[in-house]
Amino acid sequence: MLEVKNLCKHYGGIRAVDGASFTVEKGSITALIGPNGAGKTTAFNCISRTVVPTSGEVWLDGERIDNLRPHKITAKGLSRTFQISRNLADMTVLENVIVQARCRGFTELFRPAISADERDKAMSILDFLGITRIAYEDGHNLSYGQKKLMDLAALLMADPKIILLDEPAGGVNPTLLEEIVGHIKALNAKGLTVLIVEHNMDLIMRLSHRVVVMAHGRVICDGTPDVVRRDPHVLEAYLGGVLEEEAA
Amino acid sequence: MAANLQQADASSVLEARRIHNQKLARQHDQTRATWFPVAVLGVLLALPLLQLTGNYNYLLHLVLFTASYAVMASGWNIIGGFAGYISLGHAVFFAIGGYFSGVLLARYGISSLLTAPLAGLVAAVCGYLIGLITLKVRGPSFIISSIALLMIARILFDHWEFIGGANGLSLPVTDLPVETAKLPYYYAFVLMAAFTVWATYRIKHSKFGLGLRALSKDEVKAESAGINTRFYKVLAFALSAFFVGMAGAVWGEYLTYLRPNIFLIILVSANLVLMCILGGKGTIAGPVVGAILIVAFNEIFVATLGASEINIMATGFVMVLGLMFFPNGVIGTLARKGKLPRVLNWD
Repeated sequence: MLEVKNLCKHYGGIRAVDGASFTVEKGSITALIGPNGAGKTTAFNCISRTVVPTSGEVWLDGERIDNLRPHKITAKGLSRTFQISRNLADMTVLENVIVQARCRGFTELFRPAISADERDKAMSILDFLGITRIAYEDGHNLSYGQKKLMDLAALLMADPKIILLDEPAGGVNPTLLEEIVGHIKALNAKGLTVLIVEHNMDLIMRLSHRVVVMAHGRVICDGTPDVVRRDPHVLEAYLGGVLEEEAA
Repeated sequence: MAANLQQADASSVLEARRIHNQKLARQHDQTRATWFPVAVLGVLLALPLLQLTGNYNYLLHLVLFTASYAVMASGWNIIGGFAGYISLGHAVFFAIGGYFSGVLLARYGISSLLTAPLAGLVAAVCGYLIGLITLKVRGPSFIISSIALLMIARILFDHWEFIGGANGLSLPVTDLPVETAKLPYYYAFVLMAAFTVWATYRIKHSKFGLGLRALSKDEVKAESAGINTRFYKVLAFALSAFFVGMAGAVWGEYLTYLRPNIFLIILVSANLVLMCILGGKGTIAGPVVGAILIVAFNEIFVATLGASEINIMATGFVMVLGLMFFPNGVIGTLARKGKLPRVLNWD
């Protein structure tokens, strides 16, 4: 479904992503892991084109998307969250969610911001995530965990085919973590493809069908959680610093 | 027993939560008092009847002047308040509107009251093209680029002989008697102000307005939320130029002469910004309230302190005090504290 080919992002002399290639199968939960500075988030940003990749290709459902502007990519069915929850304060949770609803064409622009259909849909999403009670709360009054849930709700408003979650469990308490895991599983069961960046290994191993491990901007291992867990390269990347062929 | 107590607790919490939610929902849905702006409009439309009892031209001039600034400040609010791009170059659109209609009046004798919407469109097209270039940057860089736009326009208009250059252009003076001379412009501005307030209300509550509010907070997030941020902000810039240009067209004919040093000065732009900030950026009533307050302060201090520098200082002092106690503008601060009178909640 999502195919990343030889993706590179260089900042001056620093190669944040250096020829990463991997695929995300339709209907799967794929995790992207790696030590700090491995280039996971940069790869994410390049896929959603929040930053412009230096080179490489990104394909979504047989369509090349790496030269489209971010809102076009979202319209193609790829939505993402941000590592640090970037909610739009001064707007209520409901508005934060509905702002992601699709809006096509010039005439659509000047219709009322919140139609009855959109309100119902947003409310049912908030209901699914169990946060209807904060629907009219201001975005900046929310707790960190609530913001994460709001982000997830907003993603779903756009009816995406694939969602990219950047550390959905970062800084979230264990109870809420279970809740988020449950939501991701439920969404995946409905056919949504998920690509997830996460540091919480326990969550990754329980949740994902496939794990892609990055280190130094490259993919060093790609397989099922069991394979990855036993891979010596992965252990080395996490524990032993630089790989030998990297040093050479 | 204990279980009962717990249950009672839980239900009282739920009850409190429900009441709180209802309060929030009410705040977001039903606090509008549309009758008030309509009533104000009615009074203003009837105000010229005073002319039957004496000469109230000064009062009419003040209302007309305030209404013209209400049009422009509300227009500026679309880009500055909703989208968060502070432009100090809106005097350019004021001049474009004024000169477009002024030249048509001077050369072909078509009243600017008829050509004002067209002048607005010309300003909007210019705004669209300029916005494509300058809206690529935000924050201080954008403010500086808007000032640069003003300076470039000033040089251009000062040296463009076809429109009179720095000497300006004289327009035919109206031949109406003194009692009714101001009335066409008075009605034009009052109706334009009403139209602008209605239009900004519609814009704020449209998909477009929601998108603008989103991109004013976080453009990267808004873009990844599926909003075409570049198009949205350029369109907002063009729309705001439309209203300012329209006001400029009528203002030019009212003044009966056009000169770059009247239209193309930063004071005009700065007034729009100050009015929006004092009244409340991003609110509907804010620019109108700001226009009323600033025009009123100016008049009061000129009347009491004379036309010296002291009146300017006094206006500045009031601005400082106002922003100390109302950091989000009068309307914005009161709304945030939940103390906004219903009649002023036009959002």
